[in-house]
Amino acid sequence: METLGNTRQRAGLSISDWAPVLLWTAFSAIAAYGLWSFGELPDWKWEGILRINGFTILLWGTVTLFSAIVASYSRKYLTGFRHRSRFMALTLCFTLTVMTLLISEHLLLLLLSWLGMGMVMSGLIGIRTEWREARAAARYSRRYFLAGSAFLGIGMFLPAFWTGNFTLSGLLGAIPALPAILISVTAACLILAAIIQSAMYPFHRWLLSSMTAPTPASALMHAGFVNGAGILLALFSPFLFASDTLTLLFIIGGLTAILAQFAKLLQVNVKQRLACSTIAQMGFMIMQCGLGFFSAAVAHLILHGFYKAYLFLSAGEGIAQSEPQAPPRIRIKPLQAVAVLIHGFLGALLFMQLTGKGGGLGSGSFLTLIVAITVGQATYNIVKHEGFTAVQRLLVPPLLYVAGIGLYALVFNGVAAFMSDMPLVTESMPLTATEIGFGLVFLAGFFVMKLGLYLKHPWFYVKLMNLTQPIKQTV
Amino acid sequence: MSLSQRILEASEVVGKTWPLYAFVTSNPLTGYEKSPFKEALSKAAGIFGARVYPEPELFRKAWENGEIHPDILLPILREHGMKDTPEHYLKQLVADPGQSPETGSQELDRITAKWVMAFLDEGLAEWAMPGKKHGFYKAWRRLAGYDQDLAGLRKRDMPETAEGALGEILSDYPEDAWMEILTCHLAALPGWTGYIKFREEARTAWQEKYPISLEDYLAVRLLIAKSLEAPILPPKTDRRADEAGEILPYLWLTAWERSWQQQLVRSLAEGVSSVDAERVGDTLADAQLVFCIDTRSEPIRRHIEQQGNYETHGYAGFFGIAMDYEHPKDGLLRKSCPPILGSAYKVREVPAADRDDSFEAYLKKRQTSGFIHYFLRRMKNMLPSAFGYVEGAGVFYGGLILARTWLPGSLDRLIRRNQPAHEAICEPQITQRVQGHVHADTTDIPLAEKVAIVKSAFDLMGWREFAPLVVFAGHGSHSTNNPFASSLDCGACAASPGRHNARMLARLANQREVRRVLIQEHGLIIPEATVFIGAEHNTTTDEILLFDTEVPGTHKGLLDKVKRDLDRARESAVQERLQLEKPDVSAALRRAGDWSETRPEWGLAGNAGFVIGPRSLTKTHNLGGRCFLHSYQWELDPEGKALEGIMQGPMVVTQWINNHYFFATVDPERFGGGDKITHNITGQFGVLRGNGGDLKSGLPLQSLYQSDTEAYHQPLRLSVCIQAPKKRVGEILSKNPSLQTLLDNQWIYLIVLDPRDGDTWKYSQNLKWDRFDAASKPSKKPKFREAVFAETEMA
Repeated sequence: METLGNTRQRAGLSISDWAPVLLWTAFSAIAAYGLWSFGELPDWKWEGILRINGFTILLWGTVTLFSAIVASYSRKYLTGFRHRSRFMALTLCFTLTVMTLLISEHLLLLLLSWLGMGMVMSGLIGIRTEWREARAAARYSRRYFLAGSAFLGIGMFLPAFWTGNFTLSGLLGAIPALPAILISVTAACLILAAIIQSAMYPFHRWLLSSMTAPTPASALMHAGFVNGAGILLALFSPFLFASDTLTLLFIIGGLTAILAQFAKLLQVNVKQRLACSTIAQMGFMIMQCGLGFFSAAVAHLILHGFYKAYLFLSAGEGIAQSEPQAPPRIRIKPLQAVAVLIHGFLGALLFMQLTGKGGGLGSGSFLTLIVAITVGQATYNIVKHEGFTAVQRLLVPPLLYVAGIGLYALVFNGVAAFMSDMPLVTESMPLTATEIGFGLVFLAGFFVMKLGLYLKHPWFYVKLMNLTQPIKQTV
Repeated sequence: MSLSQRILEASEVVGKTWPLYAFVTSNPLTGYEKSPFKEALSKAAGIFGARVYPEPELFRKAWENGEIHPDILLPILREHGMKDTPEHYLKQLVADPGQSPETGSQELDRITAKWVMAFLDEGLAEWAMPGKKHGFYKAWRRLAGYDQDLAGLRKRDMPETAEGALGEILSDYPEDAWMEILTCHLAALPGWTGYIKFREEARTAWQEKYPISLEDYLAVRLLIAKSLEAPILPPKTDRRADEAGEILPYLWLTAWERSWQQQLVRSLAEGVSSVDAERVGDTLADAQLVFCIDTRSEPIRRHIEQQGNYETHGYAGFFGIAMDYEHPKDGLLRKSCPPILGSAYKVREVPAADRDDSFEAYLKKRQTSGFIHYFLRRMKNMLPSAFGYVEGAGVFYGGLILARTWLPGSLDRLIRRNQPAHEAICEPQITQRVQGHVHADTTDIPLAEKVAIVKSAFDLMGWREFAPLVVFAGHGSHSTNNPFASSLDCGACAASPGRHNARMLARLANQREVRRVLIQEHGLIIPEATVFIGAEHNTTTDEILLFDTEVPGTHKGLLDKVKRDLDRARESAVQERLQLEKPDVSAALRRAGDWSETRPEWGLAGNAGFVIGPRSLTKTHNLGGRCFLHSYQWELDPEGKALEGIMQGPMVVTQWINNHYFFATVDPERFGGGDKITHNITGQFGVLRGNGGDLKSGLPLQSLYQSDTEAYHQPLRLSVCIQAPKKRVGEILSKNPSLQTLLDNQWIYLIVLDPRDGDTWKYSQNLKWDRFDAASKPSKKPKFREAVFAETEMA
């Protein structure tokens, strides 16, 4: 009887065997360096082409870690897949393009690596070349990525030619010398490049049509590729400040976040549901950029990367027999409401204390509001659960949010430390009317969801369903 | 003929799609079984644009490996006037791409699937399709107006009922074209229509609450077609059966099957001759172990027999109890007997004596884990807690990823160890199943029925003597992150693990009053000293778990010895199955617990034979896990009742399984579930390929192929071998026209080893038999699967 052992691929050292080892080694080396040099950030430049700073090290570590996880997983998952070696090669290329992007000082190198990243990702979407829908999905995404790269090119090279400066730091330094209109055009192009990559509305369709990619490629896409926006916006943040486009970012991100979070509720396929969730989370990350909290956005993209990679890699677990269930009724006793409010408030305090953001009446109070609602929501569910004893109801909520906020603060402060040499990365600004408005919209959205008010509007269901359909040639 | 009758008839062209939480390995061409195999295949090829015969590559490999004997192939070719060399004809076999041509209905398919998918969801989406409770057609009709894809459709174009809509559209066409219209639109998305068929028939809780029918489906699809101005009546295609192109693969297939039969029959003949020798020193076994007829039982039985004085038997893995099982872990009722059988009983767990507290604690744990599930879902879905949740829990997910990447086996074991097992604190209780009332409980079942259940087990297997310990071992599998997990569980239990049935039968057989009636009324003497226990064979790790809480102290020593031997048998069975250099079960544990493993085990791949007869027939040879084995003693069954039962039940189930494996191998995308690596779970019950489209039905590529191109399963029709008088088998067939049809149409083969005259017969057609000639030796010793049919080393 031929056995399972024979499913191994041909003998000899294939790329599928050494790529994971290489990636884990790279990650270990970068992580070791990052820990060893923690506190004193590297600042290395070479000929106006390359540079390494804390941000480089931080995201090199992140991208090698995600790639290593995906490569290890794929080595077994893709056993017998006829394009496995090409898959591994593309995964390696993806890692290299991201690493190049992060080390680029010269704008041309930056543009090429951005473009390369997109081309590699389309390659993964269409890796099953013998499958018509996969080819269509790859073509479709490639068009988006080419457009994104074109915007990035225009955005960078217009001011570069104006000033004659083709390095990143040189360009950022020359902002004061640029005319206002050029700064605005540049910022608009950069924002377009970023939101295409992050699949913000109305550029979300490529992500929803990308399930032709093997599962681990989706993990890499949702944990790594879509984060490109955060990286780009952080690198070019001075342009956003100078052009005063942060509010625009905030609005784009906010609208997308709300829309995608509602659309997520009606998805009936696991991967499309995850895609809607990614779009919403990226929307939130863009909002954080819009608030001026670039280090918070980077912390979010790393944490979301873990979350989404895990959910994709375990996407085969969603089969279950069930029976229709009536939604639980929303009713809360006064004492429980008080507990919810108190815990929400305490959570918010803890968050401000540990992260040092969100205090006062700055733009960070928006983030604090999110924390307060999250803690309140968690508390609400726990105090209402009848299986818990009174002691459990009292203790579980603080245990959860202290752990959650504590771990988050650890990551956030670490990220902030690595990014401390970047210009204007954790800038708290005065709270604007837009932000207050969105805070209210979020609260309203929360109650609409909580009370199930959306259920009464079938047209909204159909609109959202159509808005999140994959493009037709790819089905 | 009424419209609904027409729809029913037209729907025969599509098989049923079963939900993946209760996977049934059925023949995708069930609706075609009334036609001869060859005809059915060319018909199905036309309707689905599917491949129906193995790829030339498979034949070439089988030929080169010696799995197809020249002595068998050449005469078959000559018979059809083909005088050239086999290699010549091998070259003539052309690869059939099997890809359906552009039908021009992609947009129609896409929009139809979009709506059907939204409706059929079983709780994956938090926001269900509005108005679902009114049924599919009515719910869709209310929403269709908002769909920009259907811009041309106005409310007045859509009659109030599905029947009205269908009638209106069909009235534009002549009546003799209706059948063609219905067939073509049902076959366009066979996965989804197959699932609607399943729901209508199984009347699941979802179906009862949110009804959908094929009529609804057709009405919606035809209205969408109308609004898109897509053709209602399909344009005539020229895809007619290419007679010459199909005969050649059929001949090769036949030669391959006959070559396999020859080997099988030859090894069984040796078994027959060894029987008489063995009879002399017949001693009672230390323990008797009963396994499912499943092909995976054969290897483990062989390894157990080698450990000592053990006797093993094969019996349908639901242990003859037509039951539904209510699992205490979620309180849901699941079918736990063959899908072809109605469930007469319901089995639930009640706390064992003095274990009420533990049971309470078990239920408490269940409640807590249910809450955690709900809690996480709420946190992920709600705006804006979803954002806060991801930030707070991100580190935790990171830790989980690393653990599952680096320590897949141990993490999985840790999780499973902490999952509460109810078997130690509960005992199964059998009650009458009240049809239509899922949760209605009745009292105990009559003693006579309990006796009948126990008696029929020993009747069918042909038992007279009982060892002090008798183990009924059901089987289940163990895999991680696997949408197709249930396809590896017991097919005879409707894809549930077989442990519950095994425990139930053991419990019934241990009951004093049951044994008393068996002695008094049926003369079946089960000694006082005999204890029955339930068990489960884990087919992924070959562990055998004994549910031994009820074993008295007197049997302790024996039980310990059995456990030790089972552990040793497990080690050598894993070593053989995974081709390891030395015994080491950790490789199997890794496969079971690794989230990136797409081939945790091979399931029933390789199945090609079904032997009905005593173990002595098969004991002398290693059958390589390719045969179903059902114990049967023809001498104890003079009227043929037991054999008739085996042929009506297990034989039909094995035919389903075998045909499923056959078709899923010849066209994995069309008849199988396709490639796992791009699967996308939908509705908690099925998978799609990539972005959407048709619901996949059938086993995935990874259960049948060892790589994208190399098949692991050999697609051969099942050869059933029965040791019984030919006359008796013939009588059973003439009494059961449906079985005869199956054989006449060559969906399976039947070979009879007649113990009276020592002759071997092969069923041909219309109750006629040919003498089976297994004498001629193959000219070439098969290289492939050499171990198969090798003589067993006796311990």
